[in-house]
Amino acid sequence: MQRRAINLFFLIAAAGLVLATKEGFFDQYILTVFMFMGINIIFATSLNLVNGYMGEFSCGHAGFMCVGAYVGSLLSVAFFSSSKLFGDPLFPPELAPVLFPLVLLLASLAAAMFGLIVALPSFHTRDDYLAIITIAANYIIISIVENIDAIGGPRGFSGMKRVINSMTDVADLPWMLIWVLLGAFVCITFLYRLMTSTYGKGISAVCQNEVAAEIMGVNTNKVKIIAFMVSSGLAGLSGALYAHVYGYVNAQAFNILKSTEGLVMVYLGGMGSLSGVVLAAIAFTLMVESLRFIIPAVNDLLHAGGLLPAAFELSQIWKWVIIPLILILLMQFRPEGLLGNKELTHVFPRLKRWVSFK
Amino acid sequence: MPLLEILGLTQRFGGLQALTNFTAALEEHDLVGLIGPNGAGKTTVFNLVSGFYTPTEGAIVFNGRPTRGLRPHQVAGMGMARTFQNIRLWNDMTVLDNIRLAQSHWLGYGLWDAVWRSRRYLRTEKSVEKKSREVLEIMSLTDYVEELPKNLPYGLQRRVELARALSTSPRLLLLDEPAAGLNSADVDGLIKHIRWIYDQFHICIWMIEHQMKVVMSLCQRLAVIDFGRTIATGTPAEIQANPAVINAYLGDDTL
Repeated sequence: MQRRAINLFFLIAAAGLVLATKEGFFDQYILTVFMFMGINIIFATSLNLVNGYMGEFSCGHAGFMCVGAYVGSLLSVAFFSSSKLFGDPLFPPELAPVLFPLVLLLASLAAAMFGLIVALPSFHTRDDYLAIITIAANYIIISIVENIDAIGGPRGFSGMKRVINSMTDVADLPWMLIWVLLGAFVCITFLYRLMTSTYGKGISAVCQNEVAAEIMGVNTNKVKIIAFMVSSGLAGLSGALYAHVYGYVNAQAFNILKSTEGLVMVYLGGMGSLSGVVLAAIAFTLMVESLRFIIPAVNDLLHAGGLLPAAFELSQIWKWVIIPLILILLMQFRPEGLLGNKELTHVFPRLKRWVSFK
Repeated sequence: MPLLEILGLTQRFGGLQALTNFTAALEEHDLVGLIGPNGAGKTTVFNLVSGFYTPTEGAIVFNGRPTRGLRPHQVAGMGMARTFQNIRLWNDMTVLDNIRLAQSHWLGYGLWDAVWRSRRYLRTEKSVEKKSREVLEIMSLTDYVEELPKNLPYGLQRRVELARALSTSPRLLLLDEPAAGLNSADVDGLIKHIRWIYDQFHICIWMIEHQMKVVMSLCQRLAVIDFGRTIATGTPAEIQANPAVINAYLGDDTL
């Protein structure tokens, strides 16, 4: 029983969160921050599979998030809501709460297929060259989406709010929070189980000595395909959730800056550390959100002190200076990340008493 | 029919002819050696046999099947395992995981089994772990099961690599300088282990080795190569007395 304590704790925390939200305990903003934490956890841990465990350097992870976001949005609008693009809904909107996991699954599978764009070149290339290919893949995906006018092109795509509303009509629950929590749970369990199986150890072997892996009977090409497809599939899941939390998607939201956010989270948490990256994703989300208040405060302070000319305002753009700066500082002073490739239970062995993941 | 048959193997790297017309035949229960001075092309032979390089010319037939066009993991799956001259262990995985992963060719479960923790997954992992612990027991490594290889002394790392190769239940075991960098006590232990493996599992062992003590006490036959050409074959005693071999090792003083 004791070893299940942590699982029980998370279950109660999740249920408590959902209940508190339902009772209107949090305002919309706090709720959105919670949901972004979950989305970032999925996004960062999935990137960790390739960048951490497999030791490749993927810089275009947001591209797969983009595929998931668009496929998820299009499917849920086509399934559950009437729109100019698809006409009448395919299913009665009352089914939305039941069939929404199917939308998430299909969005993930679509993103996983795009993962092949990177997986196939990875048979012959490594390191810097593969990193360049991943950036190219990111741009290819964004350009494709921006040039399909039927789904809004550069204007973006919306209509998911209606789907969420029809879920709320069926039962008055904070549906998106539930889906995000479930998504994060599925993602973490999936990755944990994969990486503790002998099958998944092949991914680490590719990182640690690819030649030995191939010669000792590990099909390294298959391992790479699996790693890239699982990674991009889970990124697709995070994208589909992201689109529904916002109720609107735009391809430019998934450009190289979004990919950089993923890199910051992975390198902050420690490459190859699942628990480290989960913590980093939470910390990073809180930090980015706190910048919303810190930047204007600093701006006011500097103006009050006369340190800034009146015409010069510090805007939220500074976020994009601060996030890459964190990456630079991390690489300079702690390149292995907070936890390195260790898990929390290795750093604090006493935690083991409370943890039993299966 | 020999277990491994090598016919007219030639390998060129750009302008360098690393191996010329190498021929060999290994039987089911052989313990043979491949020796030669540094840079003679010994490791190239092993890299060709294990499928890491594709030969420029010639054929390799393992177990009655030509291996040209097969990827190294497929060759490994046919029952060939090897160790490396410069140790190639997975350093950030425990010793046990190193041994477990070497059996991945026989796992027989897929991604979904691993993620669902299906019955097939649990059964397979159990038998893989049992097998791994047996091999570690044989190689007297039970004290280091949870250690990371990078934290082990060199001699133990060599032994872990041998255990990893053995865990695949190979029919042909290629040992690339197993005694390199070992002290004399470790070498005696190694000879004992190899002898024991050979007697116990009735497999074919082919080794590259520089230390005469190892080669002379273990091998039934030897082949000597120099500059990619076979210069002598025979029993260890014959090789020791062969003037061409002495020449290759000690140099020609007729300059």
